[in-house]
Amino acid sequence: MVFKKFTPRKKFCRFCANGDLQLTYKNPDLLNDFVTDRGKILARRITGTCAKHQRQLTREIKRARQMALMYYTATHSTEVRKKTV
Amino acid sequence: MKKYETLLLLDPEVGSEGRQTLLDKLSGIVQRDGGQVAEVDDWGQKQLAYPVRKVTRGRYVRLEYGLPEEKVSELERNIRMADEVFKFLTVKLEDEFAQEAS
Repeated sequence: MVFKKFTPRKKFCRFCANGDLQLTYKNPDLLNDFVTDRGKILARRITGTCAKHQRQLTREIKRARQMALMYYTATHSTEVRKKTV
Repeated sequence: MKKYETLLLLDPEVGSEGRQTLLDKLSGIVQRDGGQVAEVDDWGQKQLAYPVRKVTRGRYVRLEYGLPEEKVSELERNIRMADEVFKFLTVKLEDEFAQEAS
C-alpha cells in the first residue's frame, strides 16, 4: 500500500483574500481568531497572514487589550475567574 | 483639523443622565476648541475581558469628531479628570476632516 505524503492545506492571508474584513480593535471577535486561548498573538507562519496585515493585526490586538475588549492573559480573563471562584 | 475617534469605557453604575452630562461636557469641549462631533455611538453594557477597577462590566461609548491636532491632549486631559471613565483610547481616523456647515 502506498501512502500519500501529507500535504498541509495552503495558508493564505484572510485580510488580503477578503477585503470586507475590517481589521480594527473594535472587532474583537475577529481578532480572537489570531490569538491562542491563553491570549498570545499567533505567529504569521501559523496563521498565514501577510507581513503588512500582521503588523496591523498586532497593533489592533494591543489596542483591544488596552480597552478590555480582549484579555492580556487567560488568568486575568473574566470567564476563567468565574469558573475558579 | 483631523478626524479622531475616542472609545470610552464608562462605569456601569453611572445612570443615563450622568452619562449624558459627561458626553455633553466632552462635546462642549470639542466645540469650544473649534472641532465638531460627527457621531456618538453607544455600544451598551458589555462584559469586560478582564476586571477593571474590580468591576467586570462596563459601558462603551464611541465618539467620532474632527479636532485640530493640538487640542486632542486638552480633550484627553478632561477625560482623565472624569471619575466615571475607566479607560479611554483615542485613534486618528483620517488626516482630513470635512467640516459640515452647522
